[in-house]
Amino acid sequence: MSYAGLFIYLLIVLAVIFGSMAMSKSGLNAKVIKNPIAQLYEQLYLFIENMTVGIIGGHGRRYIPMMMTIWLVVFVSNMVSLFFPAAPSGDLSFNIALALVCVGYVQWEGMKANGVFGHFGHFAGPKLGLALIPITLMIFVIEIISEVMKNVSLSLRLFGNIHGGHEAVVKLNEIGAPIYVPLGFFLLPIKFLTCIVQALIFTLLTCVYISLVTHHEEEHGGHDEGHGEMAHAH
Amino acid sequence: MTGNVLALGIGIAALGVALGLGLIGYSALQGMSRQPEAIGKLQTVMLIAFAFVELVFLLTVFVVPGAMPR
Repeated sequence: MSYAGLFIYLLIVLAVIFGSMAMSKSGLNAKVIKNPIAQLYEQLYLFIENMTVGIIGGHGRRYIPMMMTIWLVVFVSNMVSLFFPAAPSGDLSFNIALALVCVGYVQWEGMKANGVFGHFGHFAGPKLGLALIPITLMIFVIEIISEVMKNVSLSLRLFGNIHGGHEAVVKLNEIGAPIYVPLGFFLLPIKFLTCIVQALIFTLLTCVYISLVTHHEEEHGGHDEGHGEMAHAH
Repeated sequence: MTGNVLALGIGIAALGVALGLGLIGYSALQGMSRQPEAIGKLQTVMLIAFAFVELVFLLTVFVVPGAMPR
């Protein structure tokens, strides 16, 4: 897909997001929100809040706006793929940009939570003695590589799912062409499911990365409490 | 015999990933049925594991064709 085409699909995504949000703002002064779009957004907010606070913990509330943005962008650009022959998230360049933004945001939040040296010292693993410097260096390199691979895994997963859905529909249409049945049409429900799940997974993994980076900020009381809960569950 | 090695490889990858996804779903469902109050947490972890297993297949599909000798 050319960049101009990608930009037009991106404009559709932005128009849908901003349009629906502008519509959801009307009638907010009433005591009871009767606007169905606003109610939909309320449910979405509750869902994202549940997920973010559940994964990151109590201090995760401040990451909700970013998670909401990621969910909306990914979900709406996935939904575009149901109606059009191409979609922003069916193009690898858009996905890599999205993943770079997310992983960069995670680094930024890690630096804000632990300080620059604390954040990069976090990559070096546990504090070992001076004699074990080579091992610390190796851990550091491996952690940097895994940090870079987060970009690849996030972007390639989204791209593979959306692009693969398109390919499957095209192939099924080819199979059904001799009998004049658009068999690819019957893939729509599963593509819709893929849209929701992929948006969820993208947001979820960003949450997990943030929680991995910022969990040192909390005191260890919460940690022990979690262990006690798990022991109780067993 | 028609076809190429790539198709066979993708078939094997699909087989392995299907087994992995089935195992995840199996154990998650078992855990959920044994402990219904933990469904929320289990679903989250299950989805993360799904994502990681799925990625293996996507890597196979999109990276291996580029790495194949022509």
